[in-house]
Amino acid sequence: MDEFIDTITPSYALGIDIGGTFTDIVVYDHDSGRQWSRKVLTTHDDPVRAVAAGVATVLADGHLEPRHFTRVVHATTLFTNALIERKGAVTGLITTAGFGDTLEIGRERKFELYDLNIAKPEPLVPRNLRREVAERVKADGSVRQPLDREQLLASVERLAAAGVASIAVVFLHAYANPRHEAEAVQLIAERQPKVFVTASHEVAPEIREFERASTTVANAYIKPLAHQYLGRMARQLAEQRIPAPLLLMLSSGGLTHVAEAQRAPVQMLESGPAAGAIAAAFFGRGDKGGNLLAFDMGGTTAKLSLIDGGEPLTAYSFEAARQKRFIEGSGLPMRISTIELIEIGAGGGSIAHVDEIGLLKVGPRSAGSQPGPACYGLGGTEATVTDADLVLGYLNRDPRDYALLCTGGAGPVHACHVARKLGLREVICPPSAGVASALGLLVAPARVDRVATVGIRLDRGDCAALEAAFRALEDDARAVMADTGLKLETARFQRLADGRFLGQGFDLVVSLPDGPYDRRDAAATRRALTSAFEAAYREKFSLTLPDVPVEFINIRVAVRAPVAGSEVVLQGRPRGGSEEPVKGRRPAWFPEAGGFVETTVYDRARLAVGDRFTGPAVIEEEGSTLVVGPGASFAVAPTGNVIVTLTP
Amino acid sequence: MSRGFDAITLEVLWTRLISVVDEAAKAIVRTSFSTLSNEANDFACMLTDARGYSLAQNTGSIPSFIGTLPATVRHFLRAMGVAAMRPGDVLITNDAWMGTGHMSDVSVLKPLFRAGRLVAFSATTSHMPDIGGRLRAIEAREVFEEGLHIPLMKLVREGRTDETLIEMIRANVRTPDQTMGDIWAQVGANELMERRLLALMDDGRLDSLDDLSDELFARAEGAMRAAIRAVPDATYRYAMRTDGVDEPLDYQVALTIAGDEVTADYTGTSSQQPRAINCVLAYTYAMTAYAIKCALLPGLANNEGMYRPVRVTAPEGCLLNPRFPAAVVSRAVTGHYVPVLLFGALHQVIPDRVAAGAGSPLWAVQQTGLRADGRPYTNIFFFNGGMGATAVKDGESVLSWPSNISSTPVEVAERNSPLFFHEKRLRPGLGGAGRFRGGLGQDIVIECESDAPIVASFMAERTKFSAPGFAGGDDGGLGDVQINGHSIDNRRQHVLKRGDVILVRTPGGGGYGSAAQRDLTLAERDRALGYV
Repeated sequence: MDEFIDTITPSYALGIDIGGTFTDIVVYDHDSGRQWSRKVLTTHDDPVRAVAAGVATVLADGHLEPRHFTRVVHATTLFTNALIERKGAVTGLITTAGFGDTLEIGRERKFELYDLNIAKPEPLVPRNLRREVAERVKADGSVRQPLDREQLLASVERLAAAGVASIAVVFLHAYANPRHEAEAVQLIAERQPKVFVTASHEVAPEIREFERASTTVANAYIKPLAHQYLGRMARQLAEQRIPAPLLLMLSSGGLTHVAEAQRAPVQMLESGPAAGAIAAAFFGRGDKGGNLLAFDMGGTTAKLSLIDGGEPLTAYSFEAARQKRFIEGSGLPMRISTIELIEIGAGGGSIAHVDEIGLLKVGPRSAGSQPGPACYGLGGTEATVTDADLVLGYLNRDPRDYALLCTGGAGPVHACHVARKLGLREVICPPSAGVASALGLLVAPARVDRVATVGIRLDRGDCAALEAAFRALEDDARAVMADTGLKLETARFQRLADGRFLGQGFDLVVSLPDGPYDRRDAAATRRALTSAFEAAYREKFSLTLPDVPVEFINIRVAVRAPVAGSEVVLQGRPRGGSEEPVKGRRPAWFPEAGGFVETTVYDRARLAVGDRFTGPAVIEEEGSTLVVGPGASFAVAPTGNVIVTLTP
Repeated sequence: MSRGFDAITLEVLWTRLISVVDEAAKAIVRTSFSTLSNEANDFACMLTDARGYSLAQNTGSIPSFIGTLPATVRHFLRAMGVAAMRPGDVLITNDAWMGTGHMSDVSVLKPLFRAGRLVAFSATTSHMPDIGGRLRAIEAREVFEEGLHIPLMKLVREGRTDETLIEMIRANVRTPDQTMGDIWAQVGANELMERRLLALMDDGRLDSLDDLSDELFARAEGAMRAAIRAVPDATYRYAMRTDGVDEPLDYQVALTIAGDEVTADYTGTSSQQPRAINCVLAYTYAMTAYAIKCALLPGLANNEGMYRPVRVTAPEGCLLNPRFPAAVVSRAVTGHYVPVLLFGALHQVIPDRVAAGAGSPLWAVQQTGLRADGRPYTNIFFFNGGMGATAVKDGESVLSWPSNISSTPVEVAERNSPLFFHEKRLRPGLGGAGRFRGGLGQDIVIECESDAPIVASFMAERTKFSAPGFAGGDDGGLGDVQINGHSIDNRRQHVLKRGDVILVRTPGGGGYGSAAQRDLTLAERDRALGYV
């Protein structure tokens, strides 16, 4: 029946990507493969206003009927900006007695060694809004001291009187036993039903109290905003008679529904950049087995992500709202799943300057919309190369197995130079590279990530308990999936663990064999899990394995399900007609040629599938320019991608 | 400028070198067993040129190792000679005088060859979980009590591991698997730096690093000399008294600025002590260089050139230049005073570029005992006090300075040891008052939950003499160590039994400027947030 309807009814997908400057609206017609897009200025006082206007314009321009929209996906930098600008809700924090200052003390390390005027990031909850309550769970999850309910309620009253709109609850070892936190949440909800509550075990049930508190507090801080904003966005779309449910892009590159995003908005902090990585994976899926280095360079930042076999790499923590953009440790640690995005500084508008010893530095200051400095390109890409090198090196990847996929306004300008420096042989430039990331919203799978701290030794731990713990996470994830209301294709359940050799202090996240594990044959399970960990460890560190048992600290479940009706077809312009793609010639500067070279200028809109030319070339389209060096050649693929082949 | 590097190429190559050592540092954090490396950051990775001059060290490394590790490379060069170094060699030592100032840190180096020619050294140093000997007690009188001494040796000769040496190390430490695991993690980091550096040299078509390093050093040296020249010539003196062991200790510096060179002379400082608090000259130098850089050239990444105009002298036999075989394991409790001493001198001429006294040296609680399952364990927790205020802002509370050592998370500490934490919170009032307030210290309350006795020893300073305020600011509040509610002699080991409760109170930083000049908004904020 569905199929029948599909053949006669148009089906559109709508992507809404709210960035710092622009809001991108993209509509994709699943039947014709046509796209419409619209860039409008973000309305910071009320971001929904720009969306409403933008959507109305796109509908009118394309003569599209709202009722034909089957999918609406949204990404936003709103929550990240709320953290950076400290514009979240007045938030309170309730902790285990004795640990109210954990959030402020942090890890006691300087992020800059020589700066005597160093300032730690200001905690999101000031000291007068942090209350301590008698209760104590021990490292093994046993209760040493029950929760003092009276004291908790008194603290809630004081916080409410101080005007907090949201409360975070972080008790020690709540990852091992969440009972006291759950009790507290219930008591707060009963006493102050209008106050938002976030407990640490709900958003980051992982060992290390500071990082968990930081994540929990950030969630609490943006939760009222998320609740109000996402609710309003959903209502606005309903008012515009778009019947499809609103879906949100998570930092992990997956989609979820409004209720889950309202519950844990901290999962959406990197939703915009994640969409970019998903888009890159999509555009490059036919090449190099989907092994890509996605290079996105806009006006102020350049970001890299690594895509292996079509899957963007996942990280399990990152820093939000850094005080110093490129300095690790200067931000707020977040323990959530996110697509591994490495901010490599300098975007196209970064300002270059000469430092104390005459070396050229680029960024972190940006010229913004002002005209950029004369030599930004060179230094900017060089800094980029350094970090890209680090990414590839750290992951032990052979660069020749990867293609560089470039997006963003400045990405195509520098892509070939960056690729050459990294030893990559191929550059892929998708059509409309400047707005490519918004399309990523429409091709993303539904995704749920769950984590639990278990602390199980593989040489003697309880394998049945481990299996039960995995099942509990999978059941929870399945329930969230079911609530999306999406027509899901088969869901893929991936099991992972944060493992270490007993006694080590940090964990390596490794993929495990698929479950369920045989509860009766514990020995086989131990062997399989141990060898999975050891193989990953050896690959990563090329080190002799220590003769020490393996321990799993956290287990993770990542559930992904392709969404029915998310097929986007890429189609290049067919050959035909007599339009000449060459617009003209002009001298352009190429570092590898050591100076200016006479260069052919092409109009991308007039390039057809199968066209093949050699560099030096400049290929212009609205919003971005692809630069191809001397000695390189390029061709237009059936997808419309321009594929540049570099000579070694 | 023999090869004529342009500003962009230089920046790129230097940045890439830093990326290489940063990557090696990440590998150490991930693969080491010692919480000192993986939680506390007590390690460093470095690349030097073939002469042992520092080119780059990992971004988060600590000031002591930045200064000492290149010197260790040069000791190897002097002792073995280039001719004795072969591709595939791995060098090792924990000699206190030629290493980092105590034997707890093992340094592992690799001479790196390209086309048969020595081009660089990769070097790492890391604080071992255990190196044998008496536990980090300051009661040791000679270095012989402080553990296994590994002189300048080869751990691996042309790819072949010296199994005898490994047996010797394993037999002499309490935690053979962990100690060797960490040494192998260092070897792995060295090999990683080797691979990356050689790839970088291929890429940049560099046959040697000499031209590059000379160019980088010359530029850094020039910048440092210019910064020194801007300070008026004179000798600036400062003296300070500290807790000491049985008697207080005196520190003195005469800091002479002469043209574009600076000399710190520590004559007048107390003599070396028959206790494990002596600070070898290499460590004294590292702390001196750190302070000078903080005050004069904080924004620039490090390399050898910056150190060339900085000289240090201290009479042999002085606390800051002890003779072998002085006991040295807790040298940080001496060396960390050095930057404050220098700031006291520099404050007289560049008052707005220094900080008041910090609530440091680094604090630590070391324990050894048995776990519930009968296995022995040893563990060390580091804690930090408040930073000193400056001419423009309050000192940060509870931040490692001058070192850069993290505390272990309470949840991790409780998993790894039979201890129970009752509190770890800011201690209001410990920051010295001033126009800008010193940073707060913290209170940590720990209960022993072990049926077997635990032996605890401490690194605790500024429990008698507080961190000095500058420019009329008040001194920081004192630290304290208590057991069951009574202040104890923190210079001795203490046996803890089940139910005993330790209080560790780290000291606050000194204030800057008169408290009467404090901005009313800041004063009100201090009251509202309970910092005073």
